Amino acid sequence: MAKLTKPVKLKVFTSQKTEANGGKIRACMDCGQFMSLLRIYEQHSNGMLTIEELSIDNNPEFAKRYDIQRVPTILFIDDKDREVIRYLAAPQGAEIQPFIQAIFAFAGAPNYYEATIKQNLDRIKPSTIKVMITNSCPYCPQVVASSSLMAIASDGKIRTIIIDIMANQDIGQYYDAAGVPYTVVNDQKAISGMVGADVILRSLIGGNIRVQY
Amino acid sequence: MYNIELGLPDPDKVFDMIILGGGPAALGCAIYAARFSMDILVIGKVYGGLITTTHIVENYPGITSVSGTQLMEMFRDHINSLNIQYISDEIRSIEKVDNHFVLKSYFGKFKALTVLLATGSERKKLGILGEEEFTGRGVSYCATCDGPFFTDKILAVIGGSDSAAKEALFLAQHAKNVYIIYRREEIRAEPINKKRVYENKKIEIINNTNIVEIKGDERGVKSVIFDNGKEFEVDGVFIEIGSNPNSILAKRIGVERNNKGEIIINRKSETNIPGIYAAGDVANSPFKQAITGVSEGVIAAYAAFDYLKNISIEY
Repeated sequence: MAKLTKPVKLKVFTSQKTEANGGKIRACMDCGQFMSLLRIYEQHSNGMLTIEELSIDNNPEFAKRYDIQRVPTILFIDDKDREVIRYLAAPQGAEIQPFIQAIFAFAGAPNYYEATIKQNLDRIKPSTIKVMITNSCPYCPQVVASSSLMAIASDGKIRTIIIDIMANQDIGQYYDAAGVPYTVVNDQKAISGMVGADVILRSLIGGNIRVQY
Repeated sequence: MYNIELGLPDPDKVFDMIILGGGPAALGCAIYAARFSMDILVIGKVYGGLITTTHIVENYPGITSVSGTQLMEMFRDHINSLNIQYISDEIRSIEKVDNHFVLKSYFGKFKALTVLLATGSERKKLGILGEEEFTGRGVSYCATCDGPFFTDKILAVIGGSDSAAKEALFLAQHAKNVYIIYRREEIRAEPINKKRVYENKKIEIINNTNIVEIKGDERGVKSVIFDNGKEFEVDGVFIEIGSNPNSILAKRIGVERNNKGEIIINRKSETNIPGIYAAGDVANSPFKQAITGVSEGVIAAYAAFDYLKNISIEY
């Protein structure tokens, strides 16, 4: 995190109730451990990473504004107030790698997919990629990484939502997903299993990828 | 430790070696090549490769027991410590231009004097009715990915290999019952895993049986149909009947393959095309393991290092 060169602010929605004695308790099971990790990243970022923890209990207006219905929810919001990435998950294990990559790319670090995304941007309509994962899935980090980086490169056209469907089983059931990674593009096309970024991009475009080196 | 250098390399830069693959063979090669001071780039479709789907690895020397994912995280720490750049992508073409190779994907163009093909393999499919329809909805090729969805459910594992036995053992940690359905008399697992299967009260073997159809409804898999016509109720089907080498790219550039589609290599991991090497599951090794893949990758690194010393480089 010390290599971050531009400031990044993440909004993390948790459920943190204030008890009668003034003490605070987080109601969501994953939030405590995950928030501790985020605070470590924050401490080591030379002030470049800011984690804004918002309890949905104490900040109902923010929860409503950002349509927060689940905790934890992590939002990457760009400087034009557009939501770029939403995590309905607490990244753990191998999922930490794409999460950190996204933080760096969000701060302007080189993004491998950017050139091709830019070349095809006029053919991409405003889109949402939903990537359903579990924390034990070895293939999921690849799909999370490419989908997140494509969203960051898309100048607000693509929003990526990463969903832990063990923690949000109703979403998995809604999409009939009993396997991961399970990627749904614009709530229409479901792609089961490990796929490369080109497959997801082709789904977004609805045709062949235009590429000039 | 995380590699956060994600940008596209300079397209005019000529690497000493580009390593295609993300598994043990590719990363083993990368570690040695980097230590030979070769300028390298690793491009893999799946970081870690197929071994990441193995829930337990107990035969990698020096490590008594580790999950496939954990093992490859150790590899990641190692390649990051050497500042090796890893890109997640799939190369779709390679061509020889003058004395170097030009590799292209949908996201980048790269140049290298030598190339290692360590593109691994992918799981075979049964090719039966219902398999494609229910993939991701009860049909799976990855127990570590999808096993947790089947807590207290009844599952079928198709296949009799060591991998199938290990999948069944992993799934038995979650499922109510696991049935190994195998076309032959006796499963071919390593003796240690065979013993574990036989001792596991949740696992039962249905031998001399093939499945010919997977049936279900809008919610997912409900049953399988045996080749004797019997319908057998299951909630999920895990298919583990071996794998096919990912050698289409090799075929396109004229790399010689055997009748299984495996790339033919010699003891220096060389293919028939000078400057192109192969290692791991994609190569024609009789015994495919992480450790043998690493070995072939390491030999390829040395062979390429030697090759580069002996060619004149003009570009």
